[in-house]
Order: sequence, then structure tokens, then C-alpha cells
Amino acid sequence: MTPVLEIKGLEAGYGPLRVLHGIDLTVAEGERVGILGLNGHGKTTMLRAIVDLVDWRQGEILYDGESIMKAPTFALARRGVVLMPQGDALFPGLSVKDNLDSGAYPGGSWRKRKERRDYVCEIFPRLSERLNQVVGTLSGGERRMCSIGRGLMSEARLYLVDEPSLGLGPGIAKGICDTLMTLDLQGGALLIAEQNRPLIDGKIDRAFRMHGGELTPDTGEDGGH
Amino acid sequence: MTGVIVTTINLTAIYALVALGISLTWAGLGFLNMSAGVMYAGAAYGAWLVSTEISTNVVVVLLGGILTGIVFGALVCLTVFLPLDGKPNWEIRTITATLALSFVGVNIYQWKFGPQFKQFEPLFSWLPQFRLGDALVKSTVTGTVIATAVVVTIVLIYIGSSRIGLGVRALTQSAEGAALVGINRRTAAFAILGVSGAFVGLAAVLLGQTFFVEPNSGYVPLIKGLIVALLGGLGSLRGAVIAAFMVALCEALTLQYFGGAWVLITLFLLISIVLIIRPRGVAGVLETTRA
Repeated sequence: MTPVLEIKGLEAGYGPLRVLHGIDLTVAEGERVGILGLNGHGKTTMLRAIVDLVDWRQGEILYDGESIMKAPTFALARRGVVLMPQGDALFPGLSVKDNLDSGAYPGGSWRKRKERRDYVCEIFPRLSERLNQVVGTLSGGERRMCSIGRGLMSEARLYLVDEPSLGLGPGIAKGICDTLMTLDLQGGALLIAEQNRPLIDGKIDRAFRMHGGELTPDTGEDGGH
Repeated sequence: MTGVIVTTINLTAIYALVALGISLTWAGLGFLNMSAGVMYAGAAYGAWLVSTEISTNVVVVLLGGILTGIVFGALVCLTVFLPLDGKPNWEIRTITATLALSFVGVNIYQWKFGPQFKQFEPLFSWLPQFRLGDALVKSTVTGTVIATAVVVTIVLIYIGSSRIGLGVRALTQSAEGAALVGINRRTAAFAILGVSGAFVGLAAVLLGQTFFVEPNSGYVPLIKGLIVALLGGLGSLRGAVIAAFMVALCEALTLQYFGGAWVLITLFLLISIVLIIRPRGVAGVLETTRA
């Protein structure tokens, strides 16, 4: 079966800086794969490289068997590759409802935005109370819920989740990670970067460790907390 | 005093239109459209041609100006935005390119229409004139305010409720966030510059009721539009409307109490004071989120 995501010899960086050194990774349908590692070792760069948000990248990235090395970020989103980024990249001056609806921007999803929004509000009931509130005034946890909710608004096939627990209190972080880990992937796949190992331990199918821009299978010994 | 109010409302409508176009382009695409003046003059000529060749019906002439403005917006997109998007030194290059477009446009107008002034037939003479206190509200003022209110309302409702409109609003907030949800900045650019052109086009027809149309007639509206957009806070549509009102009030009060010669001086003082107190303008977009 064709994997959802296949990365071969990926190198990427910013300006003269090479952050990733020959990354190889395959993610199959229905899989949840974790990337563990400390800050500053390339987890975020790897996820951003997949959606063409780095200065440069070399190697090969296949999505459903097709190369996406020339596809711009917006085109990947339309094809079902959704990044829930560190820092959320929400639209601070727009309401929660508008932010969520923007996640359904890709053509086919727009018509189903109301039912998708109801689905997201079911997962994060807090958001349903805040639908008309401007996102810039939400708390950090609510913003993260909104960012993840936005990612769930389209019918994505590959979810890329970058440090969902970053900057959040332990209770909220656990709640958000548990939600992500129990999502119905509907034949898609999920790749999650997280430095807080206990939050995803036992809930993912495979784990890798990112260290110094190199990806190795996780042995469960260290690399996280 | 009612005279000041009437003048203020009339000028607010015109200035807000040009400034909204400039501010929207800045917010959504990150470039300062210095060719707004040539778009203005082009739309004025377009509407004038419609009124002389097709019909003098008010709706037809207004649509002529708006549609010509939209076409000019698309031209700016094709000749400046698309070729330069993502290139190094993008901010400076777009300013240079839109300025160049301005000079080319003015020369084309000179060549095509000559330096003679063109004048519109009055579009709103069918509207009644009436007295408001001690001031006479001319039909042109009533027409200007109604036309502006109708067009701005339609556009704002469209931007506030449609899919494309959400794309435009998202782009004004975060280019990266917009790309991550599948918004194509290059397609949205046509919508943004089209709306901007429509506003400028409408302003051209409305101001054409008072001033003659000639090749350089876009420069003053461009400068006023830039002043208002900067004063309001580049990128803020609400700020553009507030600043348009402030500039219009400042001009109306100065005209009333000091005379026309003082208008630029009081305007300069107003801008200096506001930008010293609020460097980002009245409602400058500070993309803040709660800590």
C-alpha cells in the first residue's frame, strides 16, 4: 500500500544554516507517528519543510506517492496536508468562528463548514462559548484549541501537529494531546512533534527521536522528558 | 456650523474610499500602491467615456467608474504584484514599480485624451437640494454620501460573509496562516486590488462632480488617500474611516474659520500630533494576542 507520507534524504534549513541532515521517514495510512526531542533540534523545521515553509529543502517528499517538492503551502493545504503549527498562526483580529471557518477554505470543505464547526465544538466545547470572540483575546489554551480546531475543519488526510503542549499548563496540555490521540483519522495519518514524552507515550504507533537534525528510531531511553 | 458638518461628511466619504483601497492593499498584500492616483484618473476617464458614449444614467456612469477601477486594479496585479511577489526587496520594488506605472499612465492619458479638462454631466441633479440649519445641502453631496454608503456597505457585507472575503480578511492578518488553510495569495490579490480599484473608481466619479478630469487629476486624491491611510494606521479599515473623518473635519473647520490657505498647515499639524501620540496611526494594526 502507498504510504501517506514518504520522506527520503530530506535536508532543509534557513539561509546558510542546514538544520535537517538526511531525514528518512515513512508514515502509513491510519498511523500516528511521534517525533520526540528537545527544543532546537529540528522537529519544527521538519514539519515546516514538509509544507514548504523553510528557506530551502533538498531530497524527496512524497504524499500519497506523488512528489510534493514543487507544491506551494496553500496547494498542499488544499490537497489535505494540514499543519497545526507552533505559535498557532491564527488570525488574531478575526472571531473564533471566522478562524474555524478559514480551516474549511479548501473548495469542497466550505459547503460543509457548519457541520465541521459543530464537530469541532463537540471536541472543544469551550470554543462553542467563544465563537463570536476575537481570537486575540483568548487565553493560550483556548488559542491552541482554536488552532487545532481550524486544522480539523477540512477533510485532511495528513495532520502535522507541532508541539501542541508548548506553553500550556499540564492539565490543558494533556487534554489537548488526548484529544489529538483519539481523533478518528478516517484513513489518514498523524505526525506529531512533541518534547513532553509522557503526553504521547503509549498513544502513538511509532516514535522517532530528533537530535541535531538527524532522525533515529526512538529507544525509549531519553530524548524527551 | 452645519456647513462644516455637511462639508465634513462629503469629504469623509471621498477620502475614506481612496484610503480604504490603499489600506486594504497594504493589509492584504503588504505593498503601498502608489499607482492609486493613476487608477483614479483612469477610472474618471472610463466613467467620462461611458457618460459621453453610452449613457448619462447615474447608475451606468457610476458602474462605468467602478468597473474601470476594477480593471485597473487587475492591471496593477498583473504588472506589479504577480511579477514581484516573493522577490527580494519586495517593499521598495513595488513602490518603485507602482510609481513607474503612475508616470506611464499619466503619459498615456496625455497622449490619448490630451491636457484638456473633461467635465461630467451632473449625475445627481435629480436629487433635491435642502437646507440643514444655515447650510444648503447640494444634490451632489447627497448623491456622494448615498453612493458611498451603498457601495461600501455592499463590499463590506461581501467581504464579511463570503468565502473569498474571508480569504481577504485572513490575508490581512497572517500570510502564513492564510497559506496554511489553503488561501492562494496570488488569487486573493486580484480580489483585493479589484475591491481597491472599485473604491478608487467610485471616488473618481464622485469627485468628478466637483473637479475636472485631466491626466494629473489623480495625484491629489493619491496624496490625500495616503495621508488618511497612514493617519488611520496602514492596514486598518476602521482606522481609514476614522482618519478620513478627522482629515475632513480638520479641512472643513480650517476652511470655515481660517480660509483655504491654511488647510495644508492645519492638516500637517494634525498628522504630526496624531503620529507623535500614536505612531501606528489612529487604529494601527498591532497584531496582538493576549499574553
